[in-house]
Amino acid sequence: MPNFQPYLQSPLVNFNLPAQTVPAEASQKVRANELPLMGYIVLRGELADTAVAQAITKATGLAVPTACRFSSGDAGVLIWQSPDECLLVTARNYVPALLAACTEAFAGLFAQAVDNSGGLTTVYLSGVEHVTLLRHLGVYDFESVTPGDVASTVLGKAGALVCRVDGDGVFLVIRRSFADYLWLLITKAATPYRFAVAKLPAAGKSPFLRLVDAGSPAKRPVAA
Amino acid sequence: MSGYRVHRNSQRINAQAPCQFRFDGKQLKGFAGDTLASALIANGTRLIGRSFKYGRPRGIVGHGSEEPNALIQLETGGYTVPDLKATQVELYDGLNATTTTGFPSLHFDLKGLAGTFSRFMPPGFYYKTFMGPIKAWPLYEKIIRKAAGYGRAPVDPDPEFYDHLHHHVDVLVVGGGACGLWAATLAGRAGLKTLLVDEQNEAGGWMLSDTSAQIDGKPALKWVSERLAELNSLSNVTVLTRTTAFAHHEQNLVQALELVQDHLPLAARDSHTPRERLHKIRAHHVVLASGSIERPLVYGNNDRPGVMTAAAAQTYLNRYGVAVGRKVLLMTHNDAAYDAARDLAQAGSRVTLIDTRLRGAADWRQHEAKSAGVALMLGYGIAEVHGKTSVSGARLVQLDPFTNTVRARGPRLSADSVLSSGGLTSTVHLFCHNNGRPYWNENSQSFVVPDEGRQGISCAGSITGRWELSAALAQTHAAVSAMLLGFGRSTNGECPVSDERELAPTRRLFRVPDGLPEGHGAKAFVDYQNDVAAADIHLAVRENYRSIEHVKRYTALGFGTDQGKLSNVNGFAIAAEALGKPIAEVGTTTYRPAYTPVTFGALAGSHVGDTFDPRRYTAMQSAHVKRGALFETVGQWMRPWYFPKGKETMHQAVDRECLATRNSVGVMDASTLGKIDVKGPDAREFLNRIYSNAWSKLDPGKCRYGLMLDENGMVMDDGVTACLADDHFHMTTTTGGAARVLNWLERWHQTEWPELKVRFTSTTDHWSTTAVVGPKSRAVLQKLCSDIDLSADAFKFMDWREGTVAGVPAKVFRISFSGELAYEINVDACYGHYIWEQVMQAGEEFGITPYGTETMHVLRAEKGFIIVGQDTDGSMTPIDLAMGWAVGMKKPFSFLGKRSLSRSDTVRKDRKQLVGLYTEDPKVVLAEGAQILSTSDDAPPANMQGHVTSSYHSAFLGRSIAMAVLKGGSQREGDTVYVWAHGKKYPAKVVSSVFVDQEGVRQHA
Repeated sequence: MPNFQPYLQSPLVNFNLPAQTVPAEASQKVRANELPLMGYIVLRGELADTAVAQAITKATGLAVPTACRFSSGDAGVLIWQSPDECLLVTARNYVPALLAACTEAFAGLFAQAVDNSGGLTTVYLSGVEHVTLLRHLGVYDFESVTPGDVASTVLGKAGALVCRVDGDGVFLVIRRSFADYLWLLITKAATPYRFAVAKLPAAGKSPFLRLVDAGSPAKRPVAA
Repeated sequence: MSGYRVHRNSQRINAQAPCQFRFDGKQLKGFAGDTLASALIANGTRLIGRSFKYGRPRGIVGHGSEEPNALIQLETGGYTVPDLKATQVELYDGLNATTTTGFPSLHFDLKGLAGTFSRFMPPGFYYKTFMGPIKAWPLYEKIIRKAAGYGRAPVDPDPEFYDHLHHHVDVLVVGGGACGLWAATLAGRAGLKTLLVDEQNEAGGWMLSDTSAQIDGKPALKWVSERLAELNSLSNVTVLTRTTAFAHHEQNLVQALELVQDHLPLAARDSHTPRERLHKIRAHHVVLASGSIERPLVYGNNDRPGVMTAAAAQTYLNRYGVAVGRKVLLMTHNDAAYDAARDLAQAGSRVTLIDTRLRGAADWRQHEAKSAGVALMLGYGIAEVHGKTSVSGARLVQLDPFTNTVRARGPRLSADSVLSSGGLTSTVHLFCHNNGRPYWNENSQSFVVPDEGRQGISCAGSITGRWELSAALAQTHAAVSAMLLGFGRSTNGECPVSDERELAPTRRLFRVPDGLPEGHGAKAFVDYQNDVAAADIHLAVRENYRSIEHVKRYTALGFGTDQGKLSNVNGFAIAAEALGKPIAEVGTTTYRPAYTPVTFGALAGSHVGDTFDPRRYTAMQSAHVKRGALFETVGQWMRPWYFPKGKETMHQAVDRECLATRNSVGVMDASTLGKIDVKGPDAREFLNRIYSNAWSKLDPGKCRYGLMLDENGMVMDDGVTACLADDHFHMTTTTGGAARVLNWLERWHQTEWPELKVRFTSTTDHWSTTAVVGPKSRAVLQKLCSDIDLSADAFKFMDWREGTVAGVPAKVFRISFSGELAYEINVDACYGHYIWEQVMQAGEEFGITPYGTETMHVLRAEKGFIIVGQDTDGSMTPIDLAMGWAVGMKKPFSFLGKRSLSRSDTVRKDRKQLVGLYTEDPKVVLAEGAQILSTSDDAPPANMQGHVTSSYHSAFLGRSIAMAVLKGGSQREGDTVYVWAHGKKYPAKVVSSVFVDQEGVRQHA
């Protein structure tokens, strides 16, 4: 066998965002950028079942979030999706270990962990008008989304999870195949707001941004 | 020349900011703050258009959204907008407008000649006249279309853009007049999230026109500016001007259109700001303070240019500093119009006020008018206006004080303008869009809405029929206080006070009599935009149209861009008189959105061009683009269609792709197929129920093709499902059916079989699938994969294996949609592009050929594989498709559609069944959808036997092939049928639908 050198491409690779990225400035009233190549694991199980909840916490170290909320910790962000579904957003290189831990913890339970790392990506949307931008795109009452909240809703004609960590911006978890459409829609709707593809802020304690810094196994991330 | 500029202290134009503009090519001057209408009147322009049916000369009648006549074409090229009301177009420097009617010219109109014979053009004229011959219809249509309509839709791309904005508020106030402002103030002070929208360029409503109004002892406009200052200071309140709430829907969703940049010169418009914005507002509570509109009286030749409503003339004067004429006749049946007469006289016009009431208005008002120099004529009415392209005077009649009849002839008066006031009509539209109904209030002579509003809606001010400011404000204060109680808030503020003034009773009058039977005097128009005269309504009733909805449709009353804002109530009243019924019993027509016209651009917002609909891409998109793929949309996915090389046609490219795949190796992006992870102890049982075939014995490591039926036993989806573990399956669906199938699984699980322990998780986007197809596919894969034994014995057809492909973890399925040896490599989609390129590289020595959906279709048709939705149409059972092998009638539990498969209709022998067709001439590729006949001499009405579902040229077979559904087809192999297409019949032989490798040797290789 030849010496294969696999590379990964994020769903937004065709926009070549790294080349467009500029430093964040206050004049950019809406900013966005991708948190590429993170890990995503769908956890299925009755969250109200203590055994399932404990198993999730045992495998991930994260508390099971209450409805329309997310919890976070070292393993990443655990987003409530429905009474029997959570989405774990994590660093890509944590995925194998987390899947294994889930499989072990879920033994004997009616629960499962499904890797969806190739199917999703996350966009950080910020700037003073980022809520206005969301109001351009979707019918949900985005002004009511406070830190720790997640809204599973529709932007334009595609689904998205809208997670708020703090007042600065929101993290949009979106599907790979709709990412191109949503990015175009965001940039279009942001026309009045001096839109910029801005450098992501320092990770600090941000539960999402830390996952990018936690590194991905991308040996040769290549542009399209 | 009649209209002219005057200076008014109340004027809202900026006399220091002149604007040049063009109207019908003529350079004219106006000021910032003008509307196009006010500027045109100031320039003495009277003739604005020709009427719809008779081509009669028409001028400006109103001052806002009620305007029926002054429809203009604004700007040119991509910026052009048809049929804007000149009364609503804000003037800007460089504005360019043209009239929309008049052929060949506005001043000489051919339709105007027809108008001369208008007595031969009654309602229903077109239906009655153009009855035959039928063949002449295209000609009639051409001429009628030329004669009808107003402006022209733009043909160039729109250089501007539009967007949508959603709001969630506690209170939405519609209307920024005194009552709306007070409602917003109270809601704002109570801390409620409040949004106020107003149609005009500034808030104030009628206060902008009525200079004498006082609120809380100060000029009303001062009070208005105080309210606006307060509202602007409240962070919980937003005020949007130039924003028309045009629709009210279920659950208090209100749509409003904001004209963001329409008032700016084209060159001054910001390319980063939308031209218009559609606001979608969800409000806990809506306060309708949409006010009222003055309607004219109906009298002879009341459509001559220079005829206007009194309110319009008062507005042009006080708000825009434009007097509509030097010698003005004003006819009224109420007190309020005296203010217009007074103001015009004060500004220098010679005004004769013709009050249809013998006693006239309250004494103080008569005194005020006389003091200003107004001549009063009490007990008179205008029978007929004189003049053609402009008013020259009017003939009066003396009215009987008690009945609406003529008592005696009156004088002829010369004038350059004729105004009338027939009272106010409440703007009840939004209240009625979502099932609300107005009621007739005899006191206010209007259809009004109830004081108490309805669930979620409060009504405030003159929409309730309160014409006097004091009463309107008091009602508003009470209604809003009640609303605040509902929010658990208190009212912070005293009700604003306006003087209660003595009023004389209004005369109940709509059609001013001229002493002649209806239809014999001068035409008295009710609806200007549709040329509906009082006599037309009478005729409609005589022809037995009894419902007002039918009268409307027969006469066209209330249609058009003004939606009958001036005409409806007069029309209802005249119909009531003709029907001999009270108006309340006649009722109103149905009020529907939109209140005013909305551009398509605003409705579309950002859902245009490349974001009109999601375009879903696979991870390999850039690889396909690099190789010159053309794409087709499949269920929103952009799938490579074919990969032309050089100047290849599609036909040539597909032939090449097919042959390469059959003879060596091809590669296809199959990532778009739906994928669902099915897991749980009852997963197997669930599959048994949802698929028609059996799943109990499928071992891990194996795949099976399944058919999904609906309750009627008809095929709704198909796909291959792999058993990953005893309780774990990887289901695939058709590309377009992925979401539908997931919903289908969830629906049956959640509603019928919740006891089954199984869960479904979509993994469509997670997996990238590269299908390596053809005799050399094994050799290609062997170069990339060392940890899977790819030998025919170890890795059989319909097996799957887990391993590593090009260094990436993968699930490899040995399945085939072409009948060839084939492998589908599934990897995490982030590696999708990488794997594709690795496969291309590894296949280079075999001439690996990427192919798209078109080649896929040919390959599968050669093998007789169906495509759900192409070879099926919702009426095909598995038996019809000769796929009885995929139905497990012996399964212990039923499966979806099972019962229906034994219905008498589904077991009929002569159902349409899937067959193959070989045309007699192998070069003929039949048209898909073409009908099949049994005999060559079948004539209409033909005995249709079925139709062609798939048809291609097969390069591999060197001839055409087709799949078809044919009545009793399973028993007709060998028959000759005739396929009708484009006027020709093509003989074809019924054959098996498997054209290539019937034994399946190739796919098992």
